[in-house]
Amino acid sequence: MSNLEKYNQAFCELFSLEEGFDGVAVRINDTEDWDSVGHMELITALEDAFDIMFETEDILGLSSYMEGIEILKKYGVEM
Amino acid sequence: MFLELDKKDGKKIALTDSGKQIVSYEEIINFGKNFYEVIGRRTLIFVLCSNCVGAAAGYLGAMIHHIVPLMLGASMDRQLLGELVRVYHPEYIWKPVSMVEDHERILLERYQYVLVATGLKSYPLYEELSLLLTTSGSTGSPKLVRHSYGNLEAQARNISAFFELDDMEKPMLDLPINYTYGLSVLNSHLYSGATVLLTSMNPLNPGYWEFLKTNEATSITNVPYYYEILKKLRFFRMELPSLRTISQGGGKLNEELHKEFAEYAQNTGRRFIVTYGQTEGSARMAWLPPKYALSKCGSIGKAIPNGHLFLVDESGNEITEPYTIGEMVYEGPNVTLGYAQSGEDLILGDERHGILYTGDMVKTDKDGFFYIVGRKKRFLKLWGYRVGLDECENIIKSAFDVECACIGNDECMEIYVTTEKDHDKIRRYISDKTNINSSAFKVCYIEKLPRNEAGKILYSKL
Repeated sequence: MSNLEKYNQAFCELFSLEEGFDGVAVRINDTEDWDSVGHMELITALEDAFDIMFETEDILGLSSYMEGIEILKKYGVEM
Repeated sequence: MFLELDKKDGKKIALTDSGKQIVSYEEIINFGKNFYEVIGRRTLIFVLCSNCVGAAAGYLGAMIHHIVPLMLGASMDRQLLGELVRVYHPEYIWKPVSMVEDHERILLERYQYVLVATGLKSYPLYEELSLLLTTSGSTGSPKLVRHSYGNLEAQARNISAFFELDDMEKPMLDLPINYTYGLSVLNSHLYSGATVLLTSMNPLNPGYWEFLKTNEATSITNVPYYYEILKKLRFFRMELPSLRTISQGGGKLNEELHKEFAEYAQNTGRRFIVTYGQTEGSARMAWLPPKYALSKCGSIGKAIPNGHLFLVDESGNEITEPYTIGEMVYEGPNVTLGYAQSGEDLILGDERHGILYTGDMVKTDKDGFFYIVGRKKRFLKLWGYRVGLDECENIIKSAFDVECACIGNDECMEIYVTTEKDHDKIRRYISDKTNINSSAFKVCYIEKLPRNEAGKILYSKL
């Protein structure tokens, strides 16, 4: 599975999104279940999937699907 | 006057919120006069709350003038709100200006909040009735907790005493103020002449930390889940020079986390204070003094000042032996009057006479510290918020044509239904109704619910 596939899978599983969802529209507090609880689950899922540990500012900054991709790049995850 | 608000320094800031609104003690008192001039008499109102100056000012204006507020979350399900209006007949609603509907006439507008009349007539109110709160806010259960004026006075006085609060405090208040625990932070700090920092943001929002730092918050108070988030956010490495007190309540913090926060507090010269409470006891009933935070890790401590805690066995006899489990009973001036289930109940007087059976199964150690081991009543605390299991069953049964039984722990509610279909729909529906993330609910199929001869569900067999 590619990194992007792993990334998408986390979103599908946590926020009940269909495969091929429109990433641009997926944002914290707009997407169903992506509230503070969903956010902690997302952070944990991404840390596990890519074996990384986010810094505070990145946990707070990961507020949309698109931003998540940019943040993961900082941790050397090629997307 | 309520919380002796008129005895504070009038120019001092009482409330500030993350929407940049600020009010002094004097302004609150003046606003209260306006509020009363419009309403004109003792009656029932609903206050639809978010953590902002508008909601808090409406609450205080009502309390100062003996108008009885029912505090509800502004984001609560509309249908459930409608049911509460039908059951309790509030004469007025104080709500965010964004919630005004076209046909409504605005009687007063301040701090981005408005007062509208419902056209309903309030039921008669018991003379000592001061405030109503929901027991299980999220499920919109019509069951309310009736508070007296004495309850809130005792709450403010006792909490400010054991926390040693003074007018230098600036507590971060992000716990909803329609929730007993959040409201107790507001009351106890205003009673102490402090400045309360109100926000509906959560710690995953960068603005939360900016608000906390800019205003130099001196304390944080929250439920166990918040402390899990803080740990994940590398809280222990943050620079927060103004922060002096870290307080936790609203459910049991796991022992490992308790220890980590207690050690952090000890190493950085801060106080870590665990408390225990319930809406029925006007929030806090027990506290663990910070000097015992490490040596009595996992304990809820002892009774708060002016309160008394003891354990009883199944026949109601007091247990005096340590390490014996019994139901914990609290006695004190903050024990509420009782419940209301309908508008007619608002005339009821004191049904508890200062004694509350908490429903928590507890043991003590040899030094008299209390430890919670289980729960007798049918509710869970999901992410720190109380959710009634029977109420959830009713919500599901009335929306789907199924038999349903709910059980679980504070991590997850298991919903057993007699259908193999609609599991996702049911999960989504209960999540929407309770306003709780759907990951807290698991739907399971069962062919037939286990019942005894009388037809009662045997939850232990699920």
